[in-house]
Amino acid sequence: MLDIVYVVATLSFFGLMWAYARACEYLGREPMGEKEQL
Amino acid sequence: MTTNGWLLILVYSVLLLAVTKPLGVYMVRVYDGSLKWLAPLERGIYRVCGIDPEEDQHWTRYTGALLLFSAVSMLVTYVALRLQASLPLNPAGLPAVADRQAFETAASFTTNTNWQSYSGEQVMSYFSQMTQLAFHNFTSAASGMAAVVALTRGISRRSGGRLGNFWVDLVRGTFYILLPLSVIMALLLVQQGVIQNFVNYVTVTTVEGAKQVLAMGPAASQIAIKQLGTNGGGFFNANSAHPFENPTAISNFLEMFALLMLPAAMVYMFGRMVKNVKHGWALWAAMYVLFFGGVATAYWAEARGNPIHAARGVDVVASASNPGGNMEGKEVRFGIAASVLWATATTDASNGSVNAMHDSFTPLGGLVPLVNIQLGELIYGGVGSGLYGMIMMAVLTVFIAGLMVGRTPEYLGKKIQSREVRMVMLYVLIFPAVILTFTAASVLLPAGLKGLNNAGPHGLSEILYAFSSTTGNNGSAFAGLTGTTYYYNTMLGLATLFGRFAMMVPMLALGGFLAERRTVPESAGTFPVTTPLFVVLLVGVVVIVGALTFFPALALGPLAEHLAMQAGRLF
Repeated sequence: MLDIVYVVATLSFFGLMWAYARACEYLGREPMGEKEQL
Repeated sequence: MTTNGWLLILVYSVLLLAVTKPLGVYMVRVYDGSLKWLAPLERGIYRVCGIDPEEDQHWTRYTGALLLFSAVSMLVTYVALRLQASLPLNPAGLPAVADRQAFETAASFTTNTNWQSYSGEQVMSYFSQMTQLAFHNFTSAASGMAAVVALTRGISRRSGGRLGNFWVDLVRGTFYILLPLSVIMALLLVQQGVIQNFVNYVTVTTVEGAKQVLAMGPAASQIAIKQLGTNGGGFFNANSAHPFENPTAISNFLEMFALLMLPAAMVYMFGRMVKNVKHGWALWAAMYVLFFGGVATAYWAEARGNPIHAARGVDVVASASNPGGNMEGKEVRFGIAASVLWATATTDASNGSVNAMHDSFTPLGGLVPLVNIQLGELIYGGVGSGLYGMIMMAVLTVFIAGLMVGRTPEYLGKKIQSREVRMVMLYVLIFPAVILTFTAASVLLPAGLKGLNNAGPHGLSEILYAFSSTTGNNGSAFAGLTGTTYYYNTMLGLATLFGRFAMMVPMLALGGFLAERRTVPESAGTFPVTTPLFVVLLVGVVVIVGALTFFPALALGPLAEHLAMQAGRLF
C-alpha cells in the first residue's frame, strides 16, 4: 500500500519541479524597459 | 597539532593545485566535443536511445530532460530495492529493502546525497549495490557536471536561451571522465588492499574465540566512484573508517584526494570555457581560503581536545606515543590531522563519506563540517553543484558591488538585471528554507523527537546536521539520530529532493536568461572579477549569507554546547 504512496509522491515531486521551472520562465519575462538590453 | 599533520595538509593542498589545470583542460575538451576517442560508443548509445546529439536544447528542455532522467532512474531504483530478494547476486539472501528506506535511498542516490539510514552490508545485495547505487553514483555526478556546463554555456555565449544537450553532456561526463578515472582509482585501491569480490560473507573465529561474520563484496569499484563523484555512500556501514574500505594511509590519502580532485579541476574548466582563466583562478582562490579556514579551525579544536578530559588527568598533549587531543570517534590508524582533513574536504564537497565520526568531534570541530554544508557546499563543492553554487554567489557579489557604485552590474560581459537576481535569490533562499523548516518541524513533532539519542544543544545539532546534510546533498551523518523511522526516512528523502532540484531549476533558468543576453565589452565601470578585492568580497558574501541565515540555529546548537563544555557540562 505504501509503495503506491511513495511512487505517487515521487511523480508528484517531479511534476511540481516541472511546474516550478515554468514559473521561473514566467518570472524571467523581461519588463518592456529592459528588453532592448538583451 | 603536529608537524606531520600540517605536512599532510600542505601536500594535499599542493597536489590539489597541481591537478587542477591538466584535468580542467581535459574536461574542457570533453564538453566542447573535441575529444572523440569513445565516439563509436557514444554514437551507439545515441542511436539506441533515440537521442539527436546535434540538438541544442532551450534551458526549459534541458531542465525537463534532467528532471525526466532523474524521475525515471529514481523509480527504477525504488522498484529494484523493493524486489531485491528476487533478484540475482544476493548470496547472503537479504530480504527486500523496507518501503520507507527504499524511497529515501532512491531519492538520496538520485540526488548525489547518499545519505544512508542502513548498514550496507546488512541491507543491500551485491546486485543493488552494483546496478542501482553505483549507477546513481555515476549518473548523479554526471548530471551535476552537465548542469554546471549548461550554466557555463549560458554565460559564455548568446544562443537564445539554449544551453547544449543534456543527454550528450550526461553521456560524455560519464564515459570520458568518471568511468576512466574510476577504473584507475579502483585498481589503485585494490592494490592497497580494498576488497573486490563476489564471495559470500566469511565467518571467522576471533582471537578471543568468538565467531564473527565478515562482510565481503565488490567494494573497491564502488568506493572509487563514491569519492570521485562526490557521492559518499559507503559500501559498509562504517564507511571509510572500515579497514576493508580504507586499509592504509595511502588508500586514505587517495580517497581523500579523489573527493576534491574533480570539483577543483572544474573551476579551471569554467575559467577556460568563459575565456577568463584568471576569473577561474580567482574562484579557486576564494574556495581555498574557505577550505583552509575550515581545516585549520577543525584541526585546532580537535588537537586541543576536551578540557574536561584534561581536568580529569587525561594526557591530551601530543607526543611520540600519544596522538593527544580528542581521539574519540577517530581511527587510531589515521589520527587527528587525517580525520579533520577528511571531515573538512567531505563537507566542502557534497561527498559525505567519513573516516571518523563527526558526532564525536568537539563542539567547534563538529561546527566546521556543519558550517561547510550550510555555506552551500561551494568550497570546491560537489562535482558540478559546488561550482554552480559559487557562480551564483559570484553573480550576487557583482550585483552587490554594482549597487555600491550605482552601476548596472555585469558578470563576465553579461548584464545582471532583475530577472537574473530573482533566480539567484530563489537559489539562495530555498536552501535555508528547506533546512530550517524541516528542522523546526522535527523539534516540535513527537515523531521528530523520538529519533533523538542526546538531549540539549547536542540533540538540536543532530537534527540540524541531518537536514543540512540531506538538503545540501552531502549525506554525512552526525550520528546519534535514529533515522530509520517512517518520519525521518520520508522527511530526509524529501529534503534531498528539494535540496537538489529546487535549486537546480533556478540555476538553469539563470543560465538560460544569460544565454539570451548579448555580451557587452568591459568598460571602466565593470567590476573586475579577477582581483584579490573580488576574492575578498566573494568570501565575505559567502560567509555573511551563510552566517546571517544559520547563526541563530548554530548558536542554540554547537555554540551553546561549546560554552556548556567550557563550564564543565556535557550532553
